[in-house]
Amino acid sequence: MKRILYSIPVLFLALFGVACTDKCTETRTFRRFTPVTLTLAQVRQGIGSEAPRTLQKPGKIYTKDGFLFINELKEGIHVIDNRNPNAPQMVSFIRIPGNGDMAVRNNILYADSYMDLVAFDISDATNIRPVNRVNNIFPNGQFEGGYWYINQATGDVQDQRVDYVTERIQTNCQDNVGPTGGWWGGVVFFDTRGLMNAAPSTSGGGGQQQSTNGTAGSMARFALYNNYLYTVNSTEMQLFDIRNPADPKVGNKIQMGWGIETIFPYKDKLFIGSQTGMFIYDNKNPEKPERLSVFQHARVCDPVVVHEDKAYVTLRSGNTCQGFTNQLDVVDISNLLSPKLIKSYPMRNPHGLGIDFPNLFICEGAYGLKSFDARDALNIDKNLREHIKDIDAYDVIPLDKSLLMIGRDGFYQYDYSNPKQLRLMSKIPVKRPNAIS
Amino acid sequence: MKGVKLLLYLCVLWPLSASQAQSVASKWPFFHHSEVGGLFGRVVSGNNLNEVVENRTNLSVQTLNGVRLSKRVAVGGLVGLDWYTGALLTPVGVGARYQFTRPSDQNLSAFVSADAGYGFSWFDKSSTGYIVRGGLMLNPGVGIRLGKPGRGGFTVTFSYKRQEAQVEKPLRWGEIKRDETRIYNRLSIRVGVSL
Repeated sequence: MKRILYSIPVLFLALFGVACTDKCTETRTFRRFTPVTLTLAQVRQGIGSEAPRTLQKPGKIYTKDGFLFINELKEGIHVIDNRNPNAPQMVSFIRIPGNGDMAVRNNILYADSYMDLVAFDISDATNIRPVNRVNNIFPNGQFEGGYWYINQATGDVQDQRVDYVTERIQTNCQDNVGPTGGWWGGVVFFDTRGLMNAAPSTSGGGGQQQSTNGTAGSMARFALYNNYLYTVNSTEMQLFDIRNPADPKVGNKIQMGWGIETIFPYKDKLFIGSQTGMFIYDNKNPEKPERLSVFQHARVCDPVVVHEDKAYVTLRSGNTCQGFTNQLDVVDISNLLSPKLIKSYPMRNPHGLGIDFPNLFICEGAYGLKSFDARDALNIDKNLREHIKDIDAYDVIPLDKSLLMIGRDGFYQYDYSNPKQLRLMSKIPVKRPNAIS
Repeated sequence: MKGVKLLLYLCVLWPLSASQAQSVASKWPFFHHSEVGGLFGRVVSGNNLNEVVENRTNLSVQTLNGVRLSKRVAVGGLVGLDWYTGALLTPVGVGARYQFTRPSDQNLSAFVSADAGYGFSWFDKSSTGYIVRGGLMLNPGVGIRLGKPGRGGFTVTFSYKRQEAQVEKPLRWGEIKRDETRIYNRLSIRVGVSL
């Protein structure tokens, strides 16, 4: 007995020395930027139609008449026959250097190509050809948080290649630890107040929009309404007159302030997401939208969607958006001159969102996709119907019980007839050399 | 709220009901063991070029209530509170006590303990953007008891406590994902009373 008692302290001193060390491991994935220079000739002569290819770095999605357009970041657009959502077929690939956004009216697809706007005739999906180009209309832009611009001295495009890096570090189980010195190492940065351009392009909206417009998601920078194509960059809205869709004419340019990110047309209004707030523009005169009001919030990124008298705005931090806010704001817009916050709900890292009332879908980036019932605006958090965690979600388009979702993993289509249990109909996976581990 | 109710049940109602049951079924007498003490350990952080070692000492309380299955063996449900530096966790689980020595009139005896459960983060309050989630808890140990068998006594327990936790962290510039997995490995030294 005594031997046992005496051995207790010895045993635990040994344990203390060997085993009693906390082990806390932080895993983080971040972007690494590398500067790239392209000549104007490389950009403009790089356009063409080619055989379908696999998704590698999907960006925004757009859909029209059963066809699906998936942006391959800075590379072009995948054209997919999605008339059977259970088995989408890759049809072709439009090679467009510097492409991030798109919109379709009738049989004309508008796409940005760094500083240019290019119009394509998509009547024959297997033989898509450029029909027009507006040169030097976009002075700068951003992809995945990295800015590009035209170098006035050389005339070249200065861009940044983005790679995703995952690293693990030992923390003290208590505080944030600073950079290890490894994750900024060897990296050259520009100012990067962008966000992940991993979502769809726009133009859902309404008013007098023609039935031949396509549909985009909440993170789009292109929108169609009436006779105009609206495009936004970080500071201004550029209009294009598309009365003749195949021949876009440069229209008005409207200064909007800093940090503009997304545009969402709804009826005869334009809802602009910016890093400082949500702008509401009256579009009764489509040639010259006028600002009605601003709903201000902390400095973060914020796509917006609208249903009737409520706007749903997701705010997120973690990239060029800065800030430490990750939430869903439900805003009362019954008085467009004075939007009022109804309630904020904490989120993990919300990106794009979509609403097919009462179904509200929110992409949580690397933390998956959430499906809510939004009927009770004061208790949306209590009405989470499903959280699919094992996917990467950037933006969605709810479309007649079929949810189109794009993420870094690939393109997913869910049947949300039962919003409590989304049914995966099909997936087009990403095959990327530098995928996140 | 659910956590508070469970805590109330485990701390108050269940011991009371077990105590009443004791009078009815003396076959399995009520067993109680409450302890308070410290969790001692260290943590190594940083990278190979800049490694930082820090000591950690945290407060821990725990109560185990159950029944004696025999003169040597007692089992029960446990609930506790562990104030780790970066997380307040509430372990809930089951535990067992086994006395090494034959119960007799001697005042000093030894026992082994085995506790396991899940540490919840019901009462944790973190900085903005941080969310702590709990994890599995394992706590095997040995101890000594001062007091005559069948009567109340004081205990000193030496145990190894492993507690897992997950932390969601706010994203910073350029990050798209940032999470932390924690494994607390501690020497636990507790004093307590047992009935």
